[in-house]
Amino acid sequence: MKVRPMHRWSWKDFWLLTMVLPGAIWLLLIRYLPMLGVVIAFKDYKAQKPNTFWNNLIKSKWVGFKNFAFLKSPATVTMIRNTLLYNGVWIVLVLILAVTLAVMMSELKNRFAAKAYQTMMFFPYFLSWVVASYFVLAFLDPTSGMIPSIQKSLGLKPTQFYMTTTWWPLILTISNLWKNVGYSSVLYLAAITGIDTTLYEAAAVDGATKWQQVWHVTLPGIRPMIVILLIMSVGKIFNADFGLFYNVPQNSGPLYPVTQVIDTYVYNTYANTHNLGMSAAAGLLQSVVGCICIVITNGVVRKIDAESSLF
Amino acid sequence: MKKLLALVLALALLLTAMSFALAEELPTITIMFHGSNVTDDTAVLEAVNDYIADKVGAKLEVVWGTWGDFDDKATNALLSGDTGIDMVFTCSWSADEYNTYAKNGYFVKLDDLIAEYGADLVAAIPESLMQAATIEGAEGMGIYAVNGFKDTATQNTWDVNVTLLNELGYTLDDFKAMSFYDFGELFQKAKELKGDAFYPFLVEPMVLERMVTGSIIVAGDSGSTNLLSLYLNQDDVSAEGPEGNVILNKFATDEYRAFVDQMHEYYEAGYVDPSLAVAETSNDTRTNTQKTGEYLIGTQSYAFGYEYSADVLDRGIEVAFVPCTDPYVDTTASQGAMVAISTASEHPVESFKFLALLNSDPTLMTLLNYGVEGIHYNLNDDGLVEFTDERANYSPWTNGMGNVTILPDTAAEGAGFRESFKEYYAGAKAIPALGYVFDNADVANEMAALGTVAAQYALALDAGALDPETTLPDFLAALDAAGMQAYLDAANAQLAAYLG
Amino acid sequence: MNKPQRNQVALNTFGPGAQALFHTVLGLFALMCIVPFLFVIIISFTSEDSIRQIGYSFMPLSWSTQAYGYVFRLGDALWRSYFNSFLITVIGTVLSVAICVLYSYPLYRKDFKYRGFFNFMSFFTMIFGGGLVPTFVVCKTLLGLSDNYAALIVPLLFSPFNVIVMRTFFQTTVPRELIEASTIDGAGEYRTLLQIVLPVVKPGIATIALLNALAFWNEWFLSLLYITKNMDVIPLQYLLMRMQRNADFLAKNSAMLGADAAQAARNLPSQSLKMALVVFIVVPIACAYPFFQRYVVAGLTVGSVKG
Repeated sequence: MKVRPMHRWSWKDFWLLTMVLPGAIWLLLIRYLPMLGVVIAFKDYKAQKPNTFWNNLIKSKWVGFKNFAFLKSPATVTMIRNTLLYNGVWIVLVLILAVTLAVMMSELKNRFAAKAYQTMMFFPYFLSWVVASYFVLAFLDPTSGMIPSIQKSLGLKPTQFYMTTTWWPLILTISNLWKNVGYSSVLYLAAITGIDTTLYEAAAVDGATKWQQVWHVTLPGIRPMIVILLIMSVGKIFNADFGLFYNVPQNSGPLYPVTQVIDTYVYNTYANTHNLGMSAAAGLLQSVVGCICIVITNGVVRKIDAESSLF
Repeated sequence: MKKLLALVLALALLLTAMSFALAEELPTITIMFHGSNVTDDTAVLEAVNDYIADKVGAKLEVVWGTWGDFDDKATNALLSGDTGIDMVFTCSWSADEYNTYAKNGYFVKLDDLIAEYGADLVAAIPESLMQAATIEGAEGMGIYAVNGFKDTATQNTWDVNVTLLNELGYTLDDFKAMSFYDFGELFQKAKELKGDAFYPFLVEPMVLERMVTGSIIVAGDSGSTNLLSLYLNQDDVSAEGPEGNVILNKFATDEYRAFVDQMHEYYEAGYVDPSLAVAETSNDTRTNTQKTGEYLIGTQSYAFGYEYSADVLDRGIEVAFVPCTDPYVDTTASQGAMVAISTASEHPVESFKFLALLNSDPTLMTLLNYGVEGIHYNLNDDGLVEFTDERANYSPWTNGMGNVTILPDTAAEGAGFRESFKEYYAGAKAIPALGYVFDNADVANEMAALGTVAAQYALALDAGALDPETTLPDFLAALDAAGMQAYLDAANAQLAAYLG
Repeated sequence: MNKPQRNQVALNTFGPGAQALFHTVLGLFALMCIVPFLFVIIISFTSEDSIRQIGYSFMPLSWSTQAYGYVFRLGDALWRSYFNSFLITVIGTVLSVAICVLYSYPLYRKDFKYRGFFNFMSFFTMIFGGGLVPTFVVCKTLLGLSDNYAALIVPLLFSPFNVIVMRTFFQTTVPRELIEASTIDGAGEYRTLLQIVLPVVKPGIATIALLNALAFWNEWFLSLLYITKNMDVIPLQYLLMRMQRNADFLAKNSAMLGADAAQAARNLPSQSLKMALVVFIVVPIACAYPFFQRYVVAGLTVGSVKG
């Protein structure tokens, strides 16, 4: 058995402790205290006498897993499949594209162009999904959209985009990449800037080509960032980007087989009536699944590279 | 010793001073309204507080919920037991749904308060509205909110562009003789005249379905997007419907099949704007097109006096509203706008006194609704209300406040408007199942599952975008799989028990 | 003679062929990113008639500056909310970056005794939360976050995601020997952090600051929750979202509201007005972006000079 050296308490620990203190207090008050509310997932939350939140929380009836019964719907399989599939594919795609773009930007000779690209790539992050959905609509709208108009002028029957599921996996994927790749690539770019340049010098002295330098210096250099962002997105694999799945397809019913995800399902059914128990149950479920995914991924990462793992 | 004495004296003085201050200070009661557009309420609240200080014994504060904010704000306040909100708007269609929230203990039962302080209120509001508010809540059968006297009946109408109709060579009477199934030739002619980009049939698909098949919303079913249906006797709304007092799966009826078949035909012929079939674009498209008058026939769920509103007058065409039935009073409409007192409130008595006064006292209602005379409005020579530009900074949602029948007539509506309004709604007949509210607690999961299925198919089918031949069987099978029968059985058992 | 030269080239940049490829790929993607925003600008200058007739289009039938006229007529409410947005963003960013750096630095220090505990404490909240209503109750009744600026800043002050990102920046850019050397010199922990470590992680700080500034600038839901009476403190983003949500609500409930919905819809702002407000929201943060970027890019150039 490996014996860990006992840390003795020292002034250093005290000073470091004072550094984490503001954040720790914030976490305790604003994140941990409300967590008591998790029990709502297992309660029939109702107003009690007197009607104060904590009293209601304590006195409401326990109902076991009744709030989780929303999972019994026939739509469950579809929505879980959609959530996992989209998220799974996108995690990989965003990672590959963002790292590629970040490496390209870092290698550009023309600094001004690099700056301009970087600024422009951040723009999608400023626009909400509601606004983005107008943009998609401008292309797909059955009466005035650009694509149906072109089809009409060519004498073709215009595609009813909001009634047919065929194109939506592609449309949603493009929309998601458009929104998130630029943002992630900025994180990777910042990580690349932090890489010690002497490593490149050493590689060059060893006769490595630029491609080899990217492969042997840049990528290993940003590996911790890649791994961390990867683990975190895996943890959110059960949470879908609500605006993307709701606003971009205009909440069109016939598209549900390919657009319904857990978050939109909860919104479209119970959350409309603000059923606390149900929202709490859905949230808890997403957390638990996310937690399991993170622990597994982190375990795998730890086997390969302990330094990069999250905990 | 002296010092101590001095201290005690000083303390005693301070305490007396404080208790005086407390006695002077009136408690503050806060009300949360829906759908308002208010940016400056200082002058109004000053006047209101002067007026109610003696009568109510409290100071009023208002949280002006807007359409989009209200649901989140109200449910948050209620669910968190917020003592800062004493009164809150509620009804059969808002997120803090009246029946559910009363049953779950969030609203104060008002019966005792009405008996003690509510004589004026009872006199001002029709008996039927009091009845509509009487439900089985957390404290047993009783009234859990003050029901506003507004447009309390439902009447769906065809919204006809008479100008264009005449251009096509038809009169309004010709139109009145037609049914939904005969519109084809009108649409075809309109399309020929106005070109291919013109869509003559501007419908709200869900409302159209009700107009054609005669189905009625069942209160308490909104979570399933209203797939339960009672059927209206379209000739006499107070009589039993053609199917009797039974709730049906409306999508499985022959009438529905005939309706969607016809609608699909209209859609395929290019009479219906495809945007109307998509949830998030449907209503935007409809209201925007309505404004321009670029349609031939539309649907409109009507309220008395709507034809005199700027909304209709500005369309640049002659508009007629042709009713497809008499107005009828159902549970949903009669619980359309109410104000409840939160059980978290520290001042339920003052709150009730305020609500009673608001619904029975024209001065207070006018003040809170129209603003201050001389600032927000002036009275013209005929004694009618003419709004000033200041009204733009103070426009509450009139119907959401309470008894609108005690408001003075405005110049736009004309003298005698409120009287006719009262008459119109007093004359509306009640459907046989009035007061029935579906308690979905035992089938909440079925409701959720059914709601998703319905959301997937209903709007697109009603708008004609889907082919019923292939999709309707899928739809019905999906409903069955989601527990339609259990849901129907629960609703029918309750209805039978309600009707006795 | 030749060999070192080739190395020099290989060290600094890719060849012209690769450069051209990079420019094409990056340029196309950047264009894709910027076009929707241009589209928003075009809609904001499109006349209502054109929107009604042909919908949103890159080539509207007619132009109009009416929407901007409306925006300016919002007057005080607009400038007030603009000011609020700036105030909230500046104060919020400064505070949250400070808290984030202070929290993540000890997590990077392997010799910090409670490293594991605080690491987990922050990370755990990323997956588990108490939900909307319990958080609301704590913030409002316990902390008094209601109808004030604090209500729009405090709930966003800390982000576990940013802490993890920042910690990773420390790991990848600050050599541990640097800290050892500093402590041997007898510098205190705070001096080590401020004078030795911070200058090295500037790109990381700039990135975190950018993420925080964006979060504060885009926030509107806090206003909806915590601001009920004092509308003097609401930010611009909330003004816009309120309009959007009003429109959505009326669309969803039109069948229930009947004529009321039609009348209320009349008072709604036009699409072009909404887009004009989007322009108002995006422009300042887009202008601020190069400021953050300077640090990121400064790091880049330092790198290449050294290389």
